[in-house]
Amino acid sequence: MIRERPELLDLTEHLFELDVYRSRGGYDTARKALGMSPDAVLAEVRDADLKGRGGAGFPAGVKWGFISRDDGGPVYLCVNADEGEPGTFKDRWLMTHDPHLLLEGIIITAYAVGAHDGFIYVRGEYEAAALRLERAIDEARSAGFLGEGIFGTEFGLEVMVHRGAGAYICGEETALLESLEGKRGDPRLKPPFPASVGLFRCPTVINNVETVSNVPRILRDGAEAFRKLGRPGDGGTRLFSVSGAVVKPGLYEVPVGVPLKDLIFHLAGGLPPGRTLKAVIPGGLSAPVLLAEEIDLPLDCDSLFRAGSMIGSGAVIVIDDGMSMLDVLGIMTRFYAHESCGQCTPCRVGTSWLHKTVVRLASGNGNMEDIDEIARVASAIKGRTLCPLGDSAALAVLAIVTKFRTEFGSRIEECRARNRSW
Amino acid sequence: MVKIRIDDRLLEAAEGSTVLKAALAAGMDIPHFCFHPAFEPEGSCRMCLVEIEGAPKLELACSTRVKDGMNVLTSSPKVMEARKEVLEFLLAEHPLDCPICDKAGECRLQDYYERYGRFDARFREPKEKRDKIVPIGRRLLLDRERCILCTRCVRFLREVTGAGELGVFERGARTEIGLYEDGRIDNAYSGNLAEICPVGAITDTDFRFKTRTWFLERGASICPHCGRGCNIDIDFRLTTEQAVAERRIFRVRARENAAVNGHWICDIGRYGHPYWTENRSRFVLMNKDAKTTRLSWDKALIILSEKIKGLCLRGKGGRLGLVLDSFLSNEELYLIGRIFREAVDLGNFWFADPKPQEADRLLLTAERSPNLRGARELGFESRPPDLKEIVKRIEVLLVIGSGLREAFAVGDVRKALDRVPAKFLFAAHTGPGDDAYDFLLPAALIAEKPGSLTNTLGLVQEFQPVWRPPGEARPEWEVLGDLARELGSGEAWTDLTSIREAMAREYPFFKKSHE
Amino acid sequence: MSHGFAPAVLDEVSAIADRYPRREAALLPVLRVLQKISGVLGRAEEELAAELLGLEPVRVREVVTFYSLFKQKPAGRHIIRVCINLSCSMAGAERSLAGLQTKLGIGPGETTPDGRFTLLTVECLGNCDQAPCLMVDDDDHGRVQEEQLDEILGRYP
Repeated sequence: MIRERPELLDLTEHLFELDVYRSRGGYDTARKALGMSPDAVLAEVRDADLKGRGGAGFPAGVKWGFISRDDGGPVYLCVNADEGEPGTFKDRWLMTHDPHLLLEGIIITAYAVGAHDGFIYVRGEYEAAALRLERAIDEARSAGFLGEGIFGTEFGLEVMVHRGAGAYICGEETALLESLEGKRGDPRLKPPFPASVGLFRCPTVINNVETVSNVPRILRDGAEAFRKLGRPGDGGTRLFSVSGAVVKPGLYEVPVGVPLKDLIFHLAGGLPPGRTLKAVIPGGLSAPVLLAEEIDLPLDCDSLFRAGSMIGSGAVIVIDDGMSMLDVLGIMTRFYAHESCGQCTPCRVGTSWLHKTVVRLASGNGNMEDIDEIARVASAIKGRTLCPLGDSAALAVLAIVTKFRTEFGSRIEECRARNRSW
Repeated sequence: MVKIRIDDRLLEAAEGSTVLKAALAAGMDIPHFCFHPAFEPEGSCRMCLVEIEGAPKLELACSTRVKDGMNVLTSSPKVMEARKEVLEFLLAEHPLDCPICDKAGECRLQDYYERYGRFDARFREPKEKRDKIVPIGRRLLLDRERCILCTRCVRFLREVTGAGELGVFERGARTEIGLYEDGRIDNAYSGNLAEICPVGAITDTDFRFKTRTWFLERGASICPHCGRGCNIDIDFRLTTEQAVAERRIFRVRARENAAVNGHWICDIGRYGHPYWTENRSRFVLMNKDAKTTRLSWDKALIILSEKIKGLCLRGKGGRLGLVLDSFLSNEELYLIGRIFREAVDLGNFWFADPKPQEADRLLLTAERSPNLRGARELGFESRPPDLKEIVKRIEVLLVIGSGLREAFAVGDVRKALDRVPAKFLFAAHTGPGDDAYDFLLPAALIAEKPGSLTNTLGLVQEFQPVWRPPGEARPEWEVLGDLARELGSGEAWTDLTSIREAMAREYPFFKKSHE
Repeated sequence: MSHGFAPAVLDEVSAIADRYPRREAALLPVLRVLQKISGVLGRAEEELAAELLGLEPVRVREVVTFYSLFKQKPAGRHIIRVCINLSCSMAGAERSLAGLQTKLGIGPGETTPDGRFTLLTVECLGNCDQAPCLMVDDDDHGRVQEEQLDEILGRYP
């Protein structure tokens, strides 16, 4: 891993061990935060313009402010470590290498929102990360950083790792809650929002791993320092998972607003020799694809949104001229069809329809009209679904079929020729 | 209350209500599948998407709460397009079963396609193939290809009957409804599932393949099988007398009544329709010297009234016995009281009602007759019949209803009746032992006559005839009116209104109900 | 009712259930443990989980059939999950898959006759900078080249 500016990513060896973490100032910030009022902690995070790092990009401090703290019942904190967006591996790294940072962030966050129980929902495939977290929790509890009366205050907190079992949809916050309650990961209708009706119907905050991991340094260095690292309204640095056709795939930390071009060519070493850039997916598979000429975009929420894409989970997938966009479309539609929970009509039928059509195209039994049909079906899904998965599928598919229409023409012909030769 | 606008109508809606509920209450339909008034909004079918002024996306009518000043468009171009698209998705994975599907004619998918769809199918891909005849309950079959996953059935079993037998398995396009292993839905409300399924995914074997819905006529009535008085709709086809073998009643369905049965009826009521069609007594008959002959109503009533007058003349009014049941209407029981209480000793009324059974926690009452409360309000004590007593004291016995036959063994009834000089049976059904009576008079049932019943909670419910009684059968209240005239009663009981007025004057309970 | 499971197992899953505010929330971790022990989630496992957590068995099956990591059909002793999502496809996942198919003589979704391996294709495993990647049981294997397949398989008896 190469770091541009070592703010969040800390490459110290054995950082997952408590004494190593403490030797670098670990848990001192949590102690400081617990000496402030919860409202003061919340205000600091809100002023830092920390946007959610899971994909939705909602300002964390604002989300915390929605919690109804005084209705008498428990408040829960859930950390979303489901990391299923294809191309994303930042949370895996954070949990495996720096679990105590996440725990420290959890302590501060829980304190700010009034939660005494925290659940880290880790996707089922992340065995090593889950084990590291569980070990870190044990260490922290032994040291008195979890449990009753933390740092001698009245504040107590228990944290538990809860393993998922292989469902991308459980990265959606209400599906995560359903799964945490022991059910199918079927997203819930919103409103009501988790801040009022969440886990076991209690007020709940759900934040991404990277989001929570940023909280300690906001409290340590102050909101302004964090804000200044990024852009107005979008503070701090972001972790970008870069993969695909690059020489140095890996995790990169850059200040919010660094151009995509720099990330690919300056940091990740550019494309392998002999290959040219065809397309970039800037924020995980669900982020609408960008053409090679669009990569001057600054990597911040607004810029990508205005370009018709999104920063999503910060997973940059670089596609070179060797990859057929029809194959990309096939992978994309297969993925959404496989991961759709099946509750609502447009996504359940639509994602399957899209994939079936692409399969037929790839087997040589289609033509360009099918591309138009794919676009039509995707548009019919858009804006009609119960949760964002349908929209993600629709927008991602629409971007590809719109921007690479010419290439599809020739790919489809190739497939038909292959089919005829049988 | 808040004021909202839906299309060109200004409505008042309760605070906290939803757009869909407000629309339905005002008689406007917004198409929907998964919504059902008995459950919380589900929001998964996406058919009820509407345009709300100020909202960037279309919103669900079923779950969006009304706000004062809200402006809702249910037929804008955007909404119509969304509806078409949701329909297209539903039909894409739906089999073309209409020609063989029972739901045809009352299927929401068909109806909405007719109204909002009318597009050519564009889905060219292979449809998901699934099991089509899956037995899931006593009379229930599941067709997984037709299922649109509205989950009404799943929610019904979880929220109404409680055991939650059905689950939702798999995910994505592979999602399907199912039971656990060889489990079965075996509760007393299973029939509601076929009714609430908006398409033909859950069908009822009692109705399956028997007729087409558009041949059916429908009439409102009250279920007579227990004291709840559930409101029902009876779906039937009139047959000619010759085609007796052809089923006359095809289906009993729930009719919504928030004060009585909500949205449901139990399986006893739903599948109890042979009550109206099987073993009906059709003719006025006389059994004499081992011969059965027909006679007219007039003749039969003259004979009965002579027998009764004979007793009274000899001062033996106490020798007249009546075996009744609480399937009789309020008006009929009142008439019986008026006509016979003056003539006979109260102790000679017996009620041969079905034995009380267990009530469930939903609709079914312990009493398995519809007017026990009415009988009580009219001053009757429901004393079960005592054959020994009847033999000892009764010279003229009038049995109204089938209760006596049900209460005792055939041989015991026959032995007793043989020692009663004159016995008349005025019942709607025939059965073994009927030949022991001197006279058989055919009676009409609820749905064949007008009247009212009092349910277990004291609610008086009126009912109207839906079809004519079979053969020569007549409503008890009419016959009793004629009998009263024959007996020389001064009053003329020729219509229900006069009976009800008299009832209300004498019994304050019924005064309230009939106001 | 033990449903055929050893007391130690019953204690373990019971302890998991105790840690949650509501017992039924422990369903996923409990099923994970039972699947590790039995290799598959069949009736015995479903009914034990149902009884332990106060759920109807049908609700347990809903969960078993919803999540990709839960297996209803018997599988091999070791499960190979080959990622075929975007980054791994670009890095040659097809080659790893083809190599495994040849070596094991089975296709995706199948189990070797000796019951040793089940081969599956899966969506993104979150290991994209190590593409092409696969998992065998809970172990990650990254930058998998065809030449390494024998060695990798050899680690799993």
